[in-house]
Amino acid sequence: MTRYLIKRLVGLVVVIFLVLTIAFIIVRLAPGDPAALMLGPDATTEDVAELRTRLGLDRPIYVQYLTFVANAAQGDLGDSLFFNAPVLEVLAARAEPTIFLALFSLIFALVIAAPIGIYAAYRHGSATDQGAISTAMLAASVPSFLTGLIFQRYLATELGWFPASGYGGPDASFLERMGHLILPSIVLGITNSALILRFTRASMLDILGEDYVRTARAKGMTERRVVLRHALKNAGIPIITVVGLTFALLVSGAVVTERVFNLPGLGNLVVNAVLRRDYPIIQGTLIVVAALYVLVNLLTDLLYLVVDKRVKL
Amino acid sequence: MAATLSAEPNFFGALISRKSVLVALVIFVAVVGISFLSPLISPTNPDAMSVRSRLLPPGSEGYLLGADAFGRDVLSRLLFAGRVSLTIGLGVAIVSSVIGILIGLLAGFFQRLDTPLSRLIDAMMAFPDILLALSLVAIFGGSMTNVILALSIVYAPRIARIVRASTLVIRVLPYVEAARALGTRTHVIMWTHVLRNTISPILVQATFIFAYAMLAEAGLSFLGVGVDPETPTWGTMVNEGRQYIDQAFFLVLIPGLAISISVLSLQLVGDGLRDALDPRLAKET
Amino acid sequence: MNCFRNTRTCLSVAALATVVGAPLAAQTTVDVAIIGEADTFDPMVSTKDVVSIVTQHFVETLYTFDDSWAVVPLLAADMPQISEDGLTYTIPLREGVTFHDGSTMDSADVVGSIERWLELATRGRSIADKVESVEATGEHEVTISLSAPYAPLLSLLAFSNSAAAVYPEEILAETIENVVGTGPYKIAEHAPDQYLQLTRFEDYTQPTGAAERQQTPDEIRFVPVPDPNTRVEGLLSGQFDFADSLPAESFARVESSDVAEPLVLEPFGWPLFAINHKQGLLTDKTLRQAVQAALPHDDMLFAAFGDDTFFQVDGAQYPEGWTWQTDAGTDLYNQNDLEKASALLEEAGYDGTPLRILTSRQYEFHYKMAEVAQMALEAAGFDVDMTVVDWATLSQQRDDPTMWDIYITHSPFLPEPSLTSTFFSTSREGWANPEKEELLTAFTTETDPEARKEIFADIQQIVLDDVGFIKIGNFNSLQGKSTALSGVEAAPWPQFWNASVAE
Repeated sequence: MTRYLIKRLVGLVVVIFLVLTIAFIIVRLAPGDPAALMLGPDATTEDVAELRTRLGLDRPIYVQYLTFVANAAQGDLGDSLFFNAPVLEVLAARAEPTIFLALFSLIFALVIAAPIGIYAAYRHGSATDQGAISTAMLAASVPSFLTGLIFQRYLATELGWFPASGYGGPDASFLERMGHLILPSIVLGITNSALILRFTRASMLDILGEDYVRTARAKGMTERRVVLRHALKNAGIPIITVVGLTFALLVSGAVVTERVFNLPGLGNLVVNAVLRRDYPIIQGTLIVVAALYVLVNLLTDLLYLVVDKRVKL
Repeated sequence: MAATLSAEPNFFGALISRKSVLVALVIFVAVVGISFLSPLISPTNPDAMSVRSRLLPPGSEGYLLGADAFGRDVLSRLLFAGRVSLTIGLGVAIVSSVIGILIGLLAGFFQRLDTPLSRLIDAMMAFPDILLALSLVAIFGGSMTNVILALSIVYAPRIARIVRASTLVIRVLPYVEAARALGTRTHVIMWTHVLRNTISPILVQATFIFAYAMLAEAGLSFLGVGVDPETPTWGTMVNEGRQYIDQAFFLVLIPGLAISISVLSLQLVGDGLRDALDPRLAKET
Repeated sequence: MNCFRNTRTCLSVAALATVVGAPLAAQTTVDVAIIGEADTFDPMVSTKDVVSIVTQHFVETLYTFDDSWAVVPLLAADMPQISEDGLTYTIPLREGVTFHDGSTMDSADVVGSIERWLELATRGRSIADKVESVEATGEHEVTISLSAPYAPLLSLLAFSNSAAAVYPEEILAETIENVVGTGPYKIAEHAPDQYLQLTRFEDYTQPTGAAERQQTPDEIRFVPVPDPNTRVEGLLSGQFDFADSLPAESFARVESSDVAEPLVLEPFGWPLFAINHKQGLLTDKTLRQAVQAALPHDDMLFAAFGDDTFFQVDGAQYPEGWTWQTDAGTDLYNQNDLEKASALLEEAGYDGTPLRILTSRQYEFHYKMAEVAQMALEAAGFDVDMTVVDWATLSQQRDDPTMWDIYITHSPFLPEPSLTSTFFSTSREGWANPEKEELLTAFTTETDPEARKEIFADIQQIVLDDVGFIKIGNFNSLQGKSTALSGVEAAPWPQFWNASVAE
């Protein structure tokens, strides 16, 4: 077990290194010049060249890469080209809305979707089942930015139930900021609850078809008890899997949702960074998100171990 | 055990026995058929502009589904755009499945390959999908092929992970161990037992990836990095239409419905497929 | 009750719930939605409009423009003394002007700042070779000596874009980390992509020439909202008191709202097709004329702005009402003549080399004009290769003359024509034409306004004759403000120091 843990931790470092490298390559291959962008539309070619030199963008790419890796190892992800501030500082300032958006929408999705999914599987083939599945699918079939725009327009602007956008001003209290996240969380949660519902239902169906469940049934156990005792207990793996998967989905779902609601989170930061060619920010976000993701992944696998004894690691 | 595994051939019967699935299948086939026949049945050239007819509502003379901001015929554009959107979805489903199955099987079955491949899967999955797609499309440009490749890279690890996870469990099941003990060659075990047992989650996932890819394409258009705007897709149509949401809601509604109907029918088919492909469940219901 | 909206709305609801009409907290804040983050607060090094809008509240220049675009003193005490030969500008400075750091402005600060401007700012560099010296000729007097007369100098010193901003001498460096200005507001807090909070600068001293900065609001908050639809929703839900650059399509909705009203800035500016004169297809004048003949300007504007209350089909460089307005050469504008274009293509021996149009959807109207233009150009016989990229890529690719033949941009109407870089052969478009160069030199050295007007008519004529660039027309910009807000005018760079919010 300890050996396994150490192995996984080493793996974690390897993955982050891989991500770092891939991220570096991807962003540096992209066309678009941060210097030209920073100077604005009327800047001359010479101005741009000069700023490139100042920012070190004219050095050979491998020098830039080695410098980057060496600094990253010391926890220095560089400075944002646009904000003139250390990347980690910028990221830390943006983490709050994204974390709470992901958390709220995950809770929303789990609370709504998982019980329905289990119940739908239990009543497999019934009208309830079909209804639940169809509703979930319908919800997941509308592009999320469209759901967001429509909700924003009617629930926020017209009815005034929620703030239309943003994250509150400088004097916004924590509760006020969280208030700004309710509508975005619902929008993001709707898309994800569809996935969780489908997955829970599918997994439950799988388990209900297993031999030991059939045996239990044969032994005269009531269907209710079968579901609660055996099936639910073994639904752990798929549910853990889906939460693990959803984490990544939430982060990317956050990109679109934060954009619609103009939330100053990591997703919006990254889209802006891509559009502005703010390389250090793109890299920094990728590394931080990757680190989080790999950690979640590791936890997922460890939970497999605990939940399902059949998995030998 | 082997007997249950070969109980599959009537899955098509099981698939269409469910009414909603049958309806979904018919709708989806119709959508695909109509879109791919677009050059033959489209009323006009989808790129022909007539600026003075801009934003004419559906039902106007010569514009059955209305005209967009350039006075282009929405119906014609919808048909041609459907061809592109569906091609993207299908392309992503196929390419990502092929990549995912290979990686997943190798990782799940060969313990020695598991670590490096799992790390690769992890590294690829660690990228938030929209961001990865956004960066890739930004580098290579927004052609249809590039969008398909970018989204395939994004979705392949999902297939790989599911295949690997199932393989991990199946690998230690008695009949696979038995087959191995009997000296069956490793890759034969892989293809016969493991793949057959994972085909259902793969097919189901691939169907959903088809659907997600169509949604992701729309999302990329929203973020401003979708397919080259000169090539109409349903996603770009929705995104262009949202500027006119007050004057011409149909510009959003029509392509939006096209996306939702396709995605919905795909998901229903996927679900039906799943139930039909799982013989154990098919027997019990 | 949930206080979801901003604090003020929340307070007002609370107030209504208790005593109707009770006076509210004295604190007033103006929330402004702008189109993006100002990536720098140093307006010297940026030519972006959003930087100008924000920084004019805390950084000032020697001169500025009044409502009718006349140059008036801001930090200067008066208009300069200009020598007979037009070579020496003696500028008196206001006394007792305090920087936000508490220090007092003197001529050393101004000289240092202008020298930095000549060295670093795009517009400063464009005239650096004409400036012999910038000297402090007294504690509150600065003298600028030129090597040749240069009429646009004062306009350059007054412009808020690539501005000749005045900073304390102590902070002058290549990059200024913390900008210190003299403006009526100072930076209180900046949360990137979230808000920029400005608070009233208590030690502000009023200008003698420019209009009073009343410093009405206690706080001004600039909130970057890149998506136009989100700006509309934010304005209509009462989140913002002012929103910049709204889509023309939202006009009816803003107008029918009871919390907000539209502000139309008419006319705001002009979209143009910039032409690559350095390399490629359009170095051939006949082909340029073919493009000019083919373009359906009215359709392009109609597709781009939708409603003819938002554009004018006008070929003159400056619209009606401006000093520089002239009809010279405008018969070549909006010819919409495909036959002529085809004939010109044939005359030029066009071999089917693709005409590369570079555009972006950062500004949706650029892209729409390009779409319509493409159709017309193809109908005329051009093979058009349109590349739609994001703004970042466009700003890089347009600096590489091998990448494009036409790129699409726009400009507000600038008070002084020579602020428009496209006229000059040193610009990235590289339009060199001996006759035009001569006219430009005459134009920038001539100091008599009437004579300059006449020279400008000749310049406009040559722009159209030689197809230096193609002006598409005039367009209006739509801004929106809450019905409670007063003291703010529609402007390319709206100002908020006189804004007040009725409760």
